[in-house]
Amino acid sequence: MRRLAPWAAGVLAVAALPALARNTFFLHVCILVFMWTVLGAAWNVLGGFAGQVSFGHASLFGIGAYVTIILYLEAGIAPWWGIPLGGLAAAAASLPIGLICFRLRGPYFSLSTLAVAELVRLVALNWEWATNGPVGFLITALPPLSFLGHAVNWEAKAPFYAVAAALMLLALASTAWLRRSRLGAYLAAIRENEDAAEAVGIDTVRAKVLTLALSAFLAGAGGGFYAFYFRYIDPDAVLNIGLSMEMVFIAMVGGLGTVGGPLVGAVFLTTIGEAVRERFQVGHLIFYGLFMMLVIRFLPEGIWGRARRLLANARARVLLHGAARG
Amino acid sequence: MALLEARGLTRFFGGLRAVGNLSFEVAEGEIPGLIGPNGAGKTTVFNLVTGFVRPSGGDVWLEGRSVVGLRPHAVARRGIARTFQIVKPFPNLSVKENVTLAAFLRHPARRDAEAEAARVLERVDLGHRVGVLASQLTLLDQKRLEMAKALATGPRVILLDEPMGGLTPSEVDAASGIVRRIRESGVTVVLVEHVMKAIMRISDRVIVMHHGEKIAEGAPAAVVRDPAVIAAYFGKRVA
Repeated sequence: MRRLAPWAAGVLAVAALPALARNTFFLHVCILVFMWTVLGAAWNVLGGFAGQVSFGHASLFGIGAYVTIILYLEAGIAPWWGIPLGGLAAAAASLPIGLICFRLRGPYFSLSTLAVAELVRLVALNWEWATNGPVGFLITALPPLSFLGHAVNWEAKAPFYAVAAALMLLALASTAWLRRSRLGAYLAAIRENEDAAEAVGIDTVRAKVLTLALSAFLAGAGGGFYAFYFRYIDPDAVLNIGLSMEMVFIAMVGGLGTVGGPLVGAVFLTTIGEAVRERFQVGHLIFYGLFMMLVIRFLPEGIWGRARRLLANARARVLLHGAARG
Repeated sequence: MALLEARGLTRFFGGLRAVGNLSFEVAEGEIPGLIGPNGAGKTTVFNLVTGFVRPSGGDVWLEGRSVVGLRPHAVARRGIARTFQIVKPFPNLSVKENVTLAAFLRHPARRDAEAEAARVLERVDLGHRVGVLASQLTLLDQKRLEMAKALATGPRVILLDEPMGGLTPSEVDAASGIVRRIRESGVTVVLVEHVMKAIMRISDRVIVMHHGEKIAEGAPAAVVRDPAVIAAYFGKRVA
């Protein structure tokens, strides 16, 4: 019960937020935060829990975005079905990617993911028959949908807010499950020492491939949501290396291998991004970099990681105090 | 039938033959020692048996079934566990979590795995350090942890790679006691060791390797008088 209480409070807060703040820009920022939380959590599952640092998660995000938008424009499959299908497509694509990249370890793995992401971007840019190349895809109208007897207004933020919040809940709940599961324990072993993990009977390849698939599903669903929300994608928007770096940023700033970290990281990334974007255009990347350096230097366990440790220490002190008195 | 058997085990690293045509048998319940000068190929033999390195030739059987070609986790599942000469703990996890991870192999439910880990930690005299991070342990305790992790996988055979290496004389006694208790619990032990005093006391049979080949085999007291063994360790003039 006590474990579920913070979740219930969080769901209530997310549900109440749009009623409290009717400002459209604020809702837009919330939607971005939710989307980035999903992406940060996707990266964190692999990078934080399993210690496999990917520099190429934009490829999975992009695959999800392209599959969702192509399914809609070419086959008429509505985006709310297309988003999970985009996630599944990214998970399927992650299998060959994993088989190639997991042959390498440490920094070599990271570089290979970077190479794969570049490959996917070039394919999207050049296979014009499938992807429209640099022109990309544009959704001009979303299909009509009614919810509780009311027609959904696609020009409002509310429906997107609901979808983004649901995706975030899915991402956070699946990382919370992973952290407590046997697979999660295996990932900690792999992160600590891969040879020792094999020696005690852990199938490290299987564990990594499964985790990459989960990570890819979340990143791909995030990409599908992006396509659905912004209604326009091209290789530069959804397969850019910058996206991969932003996912790393969120997980590291929030706290590697934590459940709540990506949410904290996403809040910071989005706030910094929106605050400085107007004045510096793409200069916001400089601020990301600066902020990341500060975190690595002073908060290596991330904001959420540090907060959780301080809280645990405080609780231990209170208990000790109580025990000493009693 | 031997519990563990190797026939013609060979491994080349480029032009270097690290292990050449090595055959040996291990019967249930014995503690054979594998000794030899530095670079003789002892650790490579362990790597070949446990799937960390693929043999260039030859075969290894556990209870009559070949284990060559299996990945290390699958070899562990078959029942061959190992420790590493340079200990490989999961440094930022607690002692208990380190061993629980190994116990998952035979006990999929976390509660069972934790109970098994607690039992194994008592057997290697680490029961009082369960909550400590593995990186904080002394070398002796890290060697104990290494053995606990191997034991927790529920092996038939356990390959110990220099469990006494780097320990003080009194620590060697403590570690020898644990090795003997492991055998008494019904797990067969193969020992790679440099501390001759320990080998002489624990092993009833030793296999001596030099340049990747077996040069002698027999009772420890007899083997140390063998001219070929003395030549391998100290040079021909001494022999």
